[in-house]
Amino acid sequence: MFNFNIDIRRVIALPLSLLNTAQGHPMNGETFNGHLVNCDNWMNLTLREVIQTSPEGNRFWRLPECYIRGNTIKYLRVPDEIIEMVKEDAVRQRQATGGGGRGRGGSRSGGGNSGRGKVFDVIFNISNNY
Amino acid sequence: MDKKIRVKFNGGREVTGVLKGYDPLLNLVLDDTEEQLRDPENNHLLDESRSLGLIVCRGPAVILISPVDGTEEIANPFVQAEE
Repeated sequence: MFNFNIDIRRVIALPLSLLNTAQGHPMNGETFNGHLVNCDNWMNLTLREVIQTSPEGNRFWRLPECYIRGNTIKYLRVPDEIIEMVKEDAVRQRQATGGGGRGRGGSRSGGGNSGRGKVFDVIFNISNNY
Repeated sequence: MDKKIRVKFNGGREVTGVLKGYDPLLNLVLDDTEEQLRDPENNHLLDESRSLGLIVCRGPAVILISPVDGTEEIANPFVQAEE
C-alpha cells in the first residue's frame, strides 16, 4: 500500500507521486479507458468511448459513455503532456481571477479542469473487486 | 432520460433499468429494473437476474452509470492496438 509517512515538504507532489507509484501495479479492480468528458471537485468523472476491462483482464466491453463516482477511483493514468497543461492553466487562472477568491457553490464541474475537452485516455481502477 | 442504463452500487450489486428520474445527489428512479445476480462464492456475474420493477437508487451508493444501448462485449482491443 502507499506510504503516507512522508516529509511534509514533499506533500505538494503527493498526488502525482501517488499516480506514478500506482502506474503499472497489478489490477484488482475494473479498468475504464476512455476520453475524459467532465470531472468535478469530487473526482466524479464522465468518460466517452470507454473500454471497460474486467478485474481479471480477460473480458472487455465497449461503452458509449459512463459516469464514475470519484470516491471509488483507485488511480488514474494521465498522459505526461497534461502536467504541462496544468501549469499553463494555473497561470491563466491566476490572471483571470486577479487574486479574488472563487465561490464554492454554483457549477459542480468547477475547478481547474485543464484536460477537459482534450482527447486523452484515462485508465483507472475502481477500488472494489466487483 | 427514459433510456435503459446499467447502474453499479457500492458493495457490488448491479442493476439495469429505464431511467425515470434523478436528482443532484444522484438518487435515481429506475423502472422495469432487473438486478444481475452474482455468485455469492466468487462474486462472478451469473446469467440469472431478478425483477425489481420500479425502484429508487440511493445516490451515494451509486458508483457507475452507463447506457445499455451501444454496450457490447468485445475482443481484447489492446492486443490489436499493439499489432
